[in-house]
Amino acid sequence: MLPRLRGAWTPALLQCAANSTAVSKSRSESRGTRWRRREVPRHNRLLGIPRTKKMPVDQDWSNVYPVAASFKPSVVPLPIRMGYPMKKRAPPSKEGNLELIKIPNFLHLTPGAVKKHCAALKNFCTEWPTALDSDEKREQHFPVEIDTVDYVSAGPSIRNPKARVVTLRVKLSKLNLDDHAKKKLIKLVGERYSKDTDILTITTDRCPLRRQNYDYGIYLLTVLYHESWKTEKWESEKTDADMEEYIWENTCSQKNVLDTLLRIKAAEKISDVPREELLASEIVENYKNSVVLLKNEGETEDNMSKYKESVKKLLNLQGFQ
Amino acid sequence: MWIQFSLGTDLHTVFQSYGNMPLVSISDEPDTLYRRLSVLVKGHDKAVLDSYEYFAVLAAEELGLSIEKVYEPPRKIERMTLLKSVHVYKKHRVQYEMRTYYRCLELKHLTGSTANVYLEYIQRNLPEGVAMEVKKTKIEKLPEHIQKPIWGTLPQVEETVNES
Repeated sequence: MLPRLRGAWTPALLQCAANSTAVSKSRSESRGTRWRRREVPRHNRLLGIPRTKKMPVDQDWSNVYPVAASFKPSVVPLPIRMGYPMKKRAPPSKEGNLELIKIPNFLHLTPGAVKKHCAALKNFCTEWPTALDSDEKREQHFPVEIDTVDYVSAGPSIRNPKARVVTLRVKLSKLNLDDHAKKKLIKLVGERYSKDTDILTITTDRCPLRRQNYDYGIYLLTVLYHESWKTEKWESEKTDADMEEYIWENTCSQKNVLDTLLRIKAAEKISDVPREELLASEIVENYKNSVVLLKNEGETEDNMSKYKESVKKLLNLQGFQ
Repeated sequence: MWIQFSLGTDLHTVFQSYGNMPLVSISDEPDTLYRRLSVLVKGHDKAVLDSYEYFAVLAAEELGLSIEKVYEPPRKIERMTLLKSVHVYKKHRVQYEMRTYYRCLELKHLTGSTANVYLEYIQRNLPEGVAMEVKKTKIEKLPEHIQKPIWGTLPQVEETVNES
């Protein structure tokens, strides 16, 4: 039992006190163990020196804050003030400042500490393959892109139902499709295909797990591919209204042109020129191109002027404007 | 090659291998490839997000990752006007607002192991009150069953007319 001394405690005195044996019991001790004297006096100035005063300048800061911890004013040697100041006063100092404790601090993530962490983590990282340095090579070898989203937040549950959505993207030019298969696939898929970038997008979220949604997306892609290569019996009933683009062969436009040219040749009394030769001639080619442009792309200044030129050449009306 | 990674509790000290067991284990599975990794952090305090962005960018540079861009999407403020009193007093209301600030960091061309390492490090040091969304764009080969059409190569089976 340490004898009660008034005045300042010095290390020498403490040492003496620890070594000495108390001969006489103090009053509280004689009453039993009900009121035990404090082991350490309440106002012990030796314990009151904050760590900031004992810190060397060249210390390793990651030993002071190795992990995320709240702000301790006796440990952080910065004269920080935070909070709204009262009238004609500075903002409150760091001692007993709740605002500094509330806000998350990054004292454990100083640049030096981050560099140490990354040096240790570098062993677990792998390099990006150097052969895949250009976009074309990546698209050629790995044409399918899969988008998934992970959500991290604090709350009653760590699960997020939006995390199961999977989006699959692939360019149709990378799939092994012929003309008929491509057109059929585009018709099957509808809005999921974008014509400007040749990309088919499949978004799946009907299954409860992400793995299942991914498998379902791949299954859909497989089914679409194989179905588009098949030719059903009812596909022969495709009408002009179903066609995606205008094809000039076997249209009334072609017949009209041929009739007109034959009649011109008959009026000029030239012998019967075979139809294939007429079809292959440059005038008819020009006319065909301009008509196809007009039908597919709509009416623009360029298209209309091309059509005008081709008709003039066809009917030998070069003099007219 | 897929590398198994597990963070111990004493990351602040240099990694010590216990006995002769190496910490890095290499498996034969091919590594996944990510064309882009987009990390979006959301929080109520812009200063916290500033500091976190500095930390994430520093970590990415130290690990040798290529950063595509770092930008700040505009904040969203949700305001609500509620009745001030428990009963009657309709003319006296009180207004609250909740501000959400965003920060987006886009990385490109990562392997699966590197992405796992970086994301685990980033997420373990996520401050309180900050949420994160990670959008991964994985690139893959075409599945084998899509390489060629199978209908021409199947043996001729008698077609049954489907009358429906």
